[in-house]
Amino acid sequence: MYFNPLTLPKLRTVLITGATLYCLMLTQSIAAATLTIVVSNVTEAEGSVMVAVLAGEQGFKEEQPPAAALMQPAQTGDMTFVASGLDDGEYAIQVMHDVNGNGELDSNFIGMPTEPWAMSNNARGNFGPPKWEDVKFTVSGDTTHSLELSK
Amino acid sequence: MKRRSFNRSLLALAGFTAGAGAWRPAAANTSSWAEQFQQALQDHPWLLGYRSVTQDAFAADAEVSGKWPAELRGTLYRNGPAQHEVGGFRYRHLFDGDGMVQGYFMGPEGVRHKGKMVQTYKLAAERKAGRPLYSSFASDLPDPAPVTSADAVNVANISVLPHHGKLLALWEAGSPWEIDAESLDTKGVYAFSDHTQGVPFSAHPRVEPDGTLWNFGYVSQANLLVLWHINKQGQVVKMGKVQAEAMSMVHDFVVTERHLVLMIPPLHYEPDANTGSFLAAHKWHADKPTKVLVVDKNDFDNHYWLDLPAQWVFHYGNAWEDTAGVIRFDAPRSPDPVSVIDSFSELMRGNITPGTTVHHHQYQIDTKAKRVSEAPMFGMHLESEFPVIDPRVSGKRYRRVVMLSRNHLLKQPAHVNLNEVSTMDLDSGQRRSYRYPDQQIPEEHLFVPRPGSTPESEGWVVGSALDWHKGQMLLNVFNVEAVDDGPVATARLPYALPLGLHGKFVQA
Repeated sequence: MYFNPLTLPKLRTVLITGATLYCLMLTQSIAAATLTIVVSNVTEAEGSVMVAVLAGEQGFKEEQPPAAALMQPAQTGDMTFVASGLDDGEYAIQVMHDVNGNGELDSNFIGMPTEPWAMSNNARGNFGPPKWEDVKFTVSGDTTHSLELSK
Repeated sequence: MKRRSFNRSLLALAGFTAGAGAWRPAAANTSSWAEQFQQALQDHPWLLGYRSVTQDAFAADAEVSGKWPAELRGTLYRNGPAQHEVGGFRYRHLFDGDGMVQGYFMGPEGVRHKGKMVQTYKLAAERKAGRPLYSSFASDLPDPAPVTSADAVNVANISVLPHHGKLLALWEAGSPWEIDAESLDTKGVYAFSDHTQGVPFSAHPRVEPDGTLWNFGYVSQANLLVLWHINKQGQVVKMGKVQAEAMSMVHDFVVTERHLVLMIPPLHYEPDANTGSFLAAHKWHADKPTKVLVVDKNDFDNHYWLDLPAQWVFHYGNAWEDTAGVIRFDAPRSPDPVSVIDSFSELMRGNITPGTTVHHHQYQIDTKAKRVSEAPMFGMHLESEFPVIDPRVSGKRYRRVVMLSRNHLLKQPAHVNLNEVSTMDLDSGQRRSYRYPDQQIPEEHLFVPRPGSTPESEGWVVGSALDWHKGQMLLNVFNVEAVDDGPVATARLPYALPLGLHGKFVQA
């Protein structure tokens, strides 16, 4: 009723683009910041949990590839991901639990996600998807950010 | 955002905790809505029908009087908003109430009643928190939790659907909830298929005599209507999407042998930066048409729009289509949605305000000429709502409509609800009415066919009522041919319950 299902972030695009560039960025980066990402409420040990770290508003708007794209087999409860070699600055995180392992955040007939997802600050947004102002947070040196998955 | 911060600081000043506050800018009365309601209940004891339940389950054997028809065996399932207060906070609208499913089980040993709150995500989360968490239909909280999906605020409070061996509790902006038909325990949120998880499924699906089910749902943010076609086994046959220019709350629709017909009144979803609740995001445009959508049942992409004057319709009786392609249907019609916007809100703090009048109309759509027309069926003295039919003529030619009504030529009762149950014969124009005693408020009454009878012939009118004077619920049985003779049998419960909305009868 309050959640616009038709303008969700294109998580799949973000994650796939990110995966191809991740190694390249690791080797190039000389930045020292390490971001530890704690994802809670993984409700089933099926499929994988995918994390995209987006640098700045441009990254959030998918105008540039993710600064990091991470993936692990799903384990119930909390899962931890580490993105190292980041520059200090403002970031956003997108997480999806690809339960059925098809590489996508499944959605229903009208485009609403039917698999769990989360964004930084646990932003959900009323009347539409979260905005940059709602999801941005600062990485400075070693930083930890926690998110909770839900459908 | 600024307005909300301001609200919060006011609440802090007043010593309220965020989320449980009772601050309302327009209210001269500074007491909480819950307190105002309690005060009003002293002055108007019939408001018992809007008192919140404070327990999750009810069960009792009814005391039966009169001559209960031996063939009337089965269960009347009903649903409606029942929990109107959470953690001392009273919801701002009748439709915000958390749903309770009830069953009147009519067996050889008598009538047994059960009622159980639907254990929705919202109910569970707010119970855990001890306070309301979400700005929902019309209750705008000062600091609401974000709504992650429509089902997070689904209160499952409108109707029930017995279909393909399952009992579902229905809301209109989210998923059905599956209920155990015997215990009334909540089994969980229900999906007809993986691809339709969470797709809105409205509370007035139309089920044809062969079990084929049609329904719609609306997505306000996208001006989108969703159409459902489900077979009698509960499998999705097809789905459709229809893009509208503007979206409203759409509560019910009709089906004929060839078409689906929906009306979108000009109460448009137009949220702005200060919009709080879902209801507050709607704006009434008296100068704009009610859009009538006519859809080919076989091909949802084949549809067209017609215009009627601005009006508000909650419910339809039935529809049928003749061989010349003319569709006829009936509906109680209001000139505007004042009742839903104001009256059903103010009622929750015991403030009795005039609602909009509701007059039954007959509508006609010429599908060849693509024209629509409407005409009132009764004099303006007669108001009516909750039209129902013999389920065996759903989508077919029909002549009998059972409804609740109120005759303004007669002495008026103390309460504001409809106070009669009526049957209307569309062929003869004859109407028969039973006027409930002033201390009783009827809920929706159903047409229950006598097993083995031909459609629209023998059967009973079965419906519940609140006896606010005695604090009891009644289940009344009338002969469908003579409701004006009064009930032939009555089952009386030892407790009162909040007035609900819709039900369905399942033959034993």
